[in-house]
Amino acid sequence: MHAQLLVNALAAGAGYALVAVSFGLIYRVVCFFHIAHGAVYTLAAYCAFLCITTLGRPAVLAMGAAVVAAVAIGVGLELLIYRPLRRRNSSDAALLLASLGLLIVLQNVVSLVFGDETRSMRQGNVVAGIALIGARITRVQLAILLVSPILTGGLWAWLRFGRYGKYVRAVADDTELSTIVGIPTERVFVVVFAVGSALVAVIAVLNGLDTDLTPLMGFRVILKGIVAAIIGGIGSMPGAFLGGMVIGVLESWGAWVLPSQWQDTTVFVVLVVFLLVRPHGVLGRPLRKARI
Amino acid sequence: MDYVLHILVLVGIYVILAVSLDLIVGHTGFLSIGHAAFYGIGAYTSALLAVNVGAPFIVGVVCGMLIAVLLSFTISLSALRLHGDYFVIATFAFQMILFNIFNNWTDLTGGAMGVPGIPYPVLLGWHVDSNLEFVALAALIAGLIYLISWRIVTSPFGRVLRAIREDEVVAKAMGKNTSRLKATAFAVSAALAASAGSLYAHYITYIDASSFTVMESILIISMVIIGGAGSLWGPLIGAFVLVTLPEALRFVGLPSSVAANLRQIIYGTLLVVMMMFRPRGLVGTYAFRR
Repeated sequence: MHAQLLVNALAAGAGYALVAVSFGLIYRVVCFFHIAHGAVYTLAAYCAFLCITTLGRPAVLAMGAAVVAAVAIGVGLELLIYRPLRRRNSSDAALLLASLGLLIVLQNVVSLVFGDETRSMRQGNVVAGIALIGARITRVQLAILLVSPILTGGLWAWLRFGRYGKYVRAVADDTELSTIVGIPTERVFVVVFAVGSALVAVIAVLNGLDTDLTPLMGFRVILKGIVAAIIGGIGSMPGAFLGGMVIGVLESWGAWVLPSQWQDTTVFVVLVVFLLVRPHGVLGRPLRKARI
Repeated sequence: MDYVLHILVLVGIYVILAVSLDLIVGHTGFLSIGHAAFYGIGAYTSALLAVNVGAPFIVGVVCGMLIAVLLSFTISLSALRLHGDYFVIATFAFQMILFNIFNNWTDLTGGAMGVPGIPYPVLLGWHVDSNLEFVALAALIAGLIYLISWRIVTSPFGRVLRAIREDEVVAKAMGKNTSRLKATAFAVSAALAASAGSLYAHYITYIDASSFTVMESILIISMVIIGGAGSLWGPLIGAFVLVTLPEALRFVGLPSSVAANLRQIIYGTLLVVMMMFRPRGLVGTYAFRR
């Protein structure tokens, strides 16, 4: 029994990890909670759904289309909403509220177009999962388990060695100074939204293949993703990944130890505990107290 | 006519909720997406006391407020010293935790089946059991709370809150214990929201967790933002607009599932549009600028 729990935890954790990493990447640079990231997730999954079911395209193509759509939406949000708000010197609260409004609108548009019932884009018959260390893992879960660390590793390498990757780190560290030094800050913002949205699209499609789609899927996942990013340490890539795995384990363990309806509550209670004891998360650096 | 009276009671309840939320959002400058949780605490406390112990209305209200204040400290302690964004997430988490408790702790709260059979309120011999009397009660409570909020906002305490909103570092440098002040404001706002919950519970005579979700919190926030944060008129107008507008949708004759989505799309769009073009809302004074 425990092996199955572990396998489920790892697969779920890897999923949350990628969401947390993509979210954390954006947060590091723009410094507000881009909650609408959850809507990008949902839209990407439904885009893949359209490709697979209505257009009959293979899953790989659907994934590609979903990534393109997500990047378009993410970048669109930055250019049309966030950038004008930043120009107007809006506080983080204003950006967060706008993001929240966008999440609500986009989620409900999905609900209007596709309906509230669960939609599935699985094809073929249900097969037994592959046997692994005495437990069963489905092919999609295995894919998530492999894709997540690979993409996170790739992201880390890009941030470390890539030209724009270094720009991203610079802008995340000190936006004003980066602009002064000549880094194309506005373009970096766009790049970060593009990369973050692309990453979340991948996990959205995989999760959609694994556990089907509902209009609320993005909202639930992004909240857990944010918790993961905070627990792991906001501003830290490995922290976000770790946070995601922790959330996955917490959920599985929580479902094992407590009646399953308390699964979500466990995660949020842990968040509150973390905020009380170690708000910068496991791997994060202590926050600056004030911005002068 | 009964329909109009019903709308008026709802407006009264939401005025209380919006005005109390404005105390922290508009005057102290902290966003909270957990207000519906306090609303729910007031409702459940009142309901459970009335149904299980036969407690009178006033007792229910007071107990609800006390519990709300106590629970507000869990957020105050953990998140008020952090950056504003973290506070928002903490209130989100608090909201979800409480919703889960309302919905899943079946032994206490009836779980998904809720608490039925809540008696109509009796205030010092006045039996409130017609819609008209409820409007009077709602107006009375809303008026009282508006008055309390007005006193708070125009007092030195209100001034300090606004100072914290504008620049907390300066307020601290002037020697103000900002953490304690913020915690106080948060506690007051929670208590007032709980009173709205009590009113709601005794009016509808049945409550369940579905009235106290995240969406409800977001609705209340929208009322504050759209009406205008930072002034007391703002949330009042916001509550009025956002309660009556969707009712107008009813008469357009859309199928109910579409109407529900459309209603939320309207809230969301108004929120975004307001932030982009008039962040101070219709009549507010705080424009969420840095």
